[in-house]
Amino acid sequence: MPRILGVDIPANKKLEYSLRYIYGIGPTRSKTILAETGIDPDMRAKDLDEEQINAIMGKIQELQFVVEGDLRRELTGNMKRLQAINCYRGLRHRRGLPVRGQRTKTNARTRKGKVKTQGSLRK
Amino acid sequence: MARSVKKGFFVDPSIEKKVKEAQASNDRKPIQTWSRRSTITPDFVGLNINVHNGKAFIPVHVTENMVGHKLGEFSQTRTFKAHGGGKK
Repeated sequence: MPRILGVDIPANKKLEYSLRYIYGIGPTRSKTILAETGIDPDMRAKDLDEEQINAIMGKIQELQFVVEGDLRRELTGNMKRLQAINCYRGLRHRRGLPVRGQRTKTNARTRKGKVKTQGSLRK
Repeated sequence: MARSVKKGFFVDPSIEKKVKEAQASNDRKPIQTWSRRSTITPDFVGLNINVHNGKAFIPVHVTENMVGHKLGEFSQTRTFKAHGGGKK
């Protein structure tokens, strides 16, 4: 299993798909990387040689894709900033509620987590 | 989101004028405003602004991080009282 960018070990799949296992690389970026390096997208990840791996890593840097740890850090940094300045979006992050104005009367389960039934608490 | 760049930031003329005056005279008295829709520009940094939330004025101290946000983002319009709880 080849390693790209340190920790990532994309599986026994076609390159076009295995590259997407890198955090920050999806379908579009995966395709651009392969097109620009001239590597066959149908090739399996295990058949990559050293040179091609380096070419891929070089391309990611060249195109300034923020991936993996850097990307995660950037995201938490943004969240911290919003929370520190006490703005509405920061508040929503703190409460674990949807940030972009979605309804919360129903749904919003991705942010709120599993349904907790409350029942009547007064007696 | 996504406002045309060519238009630039929107700041209500009324508050823009007050901010300019305050910065020029180094006046730190809070500025009262109803203009929640105004973008915070770098001119605002360091000022105290009282932003109306529909009921009262909420004091906001503008810091550098807040540039680019709107004044209204810092003055909540809703209060949430917890559900249930209470005594048995």
